[in-house]
Amino acid sequence: MANTGNGALLRFRVMAILCGVNLLLLILGYMPAKYIFDAVDSNKWLIAIPIAHGYFYSVYILTALQLGVQRKMPLLSILWLTLAGTLPVASFIAERRMVRRFG
Amino acid sequence: MRAKIKKPLQAITVLVLASIFIALGIWQLQRAQELQDSKKQVVDSTVYPLAQMASPTGSIPATSITKLVKTTGHYIATYKAPNQKDGSGKVADWEVALLEEENGSAILVARGLWSERISSPEMTMAKNVTVTGTLLPKQSEDRAENVGGQISRLDSSLLVTSYSGQLYDGFILATDEEVSGQKIQRSRVTPPELTSGVPGYYWQHISYVVVWWFLAALVFWAPFYRRRA
Repeated sequence: MANTGNGALLRFRVMAILCGVNLLLLILGYMPAKYIFDAVDSNKWLIAIPIAHGYFYSVYILTALQLGVQRKMPLLSILWLTLAGTLPVASFIAERRMVRRFG
Repeated sequence: MRAKIKKPLQAITVLVLASIFIALGIWQLQRAQELQDSKKQVVDSTVYPLAQMASPTGSIPATSITKLVKTTGHYIATYKAPNQKDGSGKVADWEVALLEEENGSAILVARGLWSERISSPEMTMAKNVTVTGTLLPKQSEDRAENVGGQISRLDSSLLVTSYSGQLYDGFILATDEEVSGQKIQRSRVTPPELTSGVPGYYWQHISYVVVWWFLAALVFWAPFYRRRA
């Protein structure tokens, strides 16, 4: 991959925060609305949350890969970075750690 | 020895993981396709005989759900179905009746609002009625309690102890009732949005396809990754 200086880190940070916020919205907003309050049918805009998560996460993986390969991280660390996008709050932790390490 | 089995083991792991991810992507793609197909069914305004779309011996086929069906028989019981939500999201108590066909099978029919049940006195239990409506699958969640004259959900399995004949699995949301060629005038329940029971939205499923296949690609790439100092 091309050496893009701190660009890869910046892209990863943006996607980590976006994914993290989106995942919190998914778990604290969409899930209760759908499974507890049965409110998704009457608030159709809520469906944008899981759809956005699907696409955000794809881009997040790309940015994690670019950062990991560029900074010569071990494969397991890259795997952890990609999985962090699926766990609540984990992407925020990953973002902070990457900033401390490479920022 | 360890080095000998390491590569085949790695290859097997990659193939298994990638196969799982690819299969999950295909599954989501099929769900997206099913969702689109179910929306196409909405334009099908043909009225089918109920016997052509379902049988009382099994569950309602997925392809028959939301089809317009017609059947004839006479009502043998009436129930109040509280807290039912129609297609526009309005919650109300419905009048639901058990329609027995001439062949001895019976199906639940959501006739209309409970509050309007007395406004159709021309309907008596003995009269033959032809019902046209949307065929829907049974409900699985209770909306109320099962007490005398009331059913908690539109599900014929609740009636197996009180009816000796065969019961259809789903129910008909009536759009029209005729007795001796005369239409019964009453307001009908708005049919629910016809999504054929496939949860989610098209672009939601496609987003999952992207993610699963992306992960499969990642698995294929991982063995070639080398850290270079």
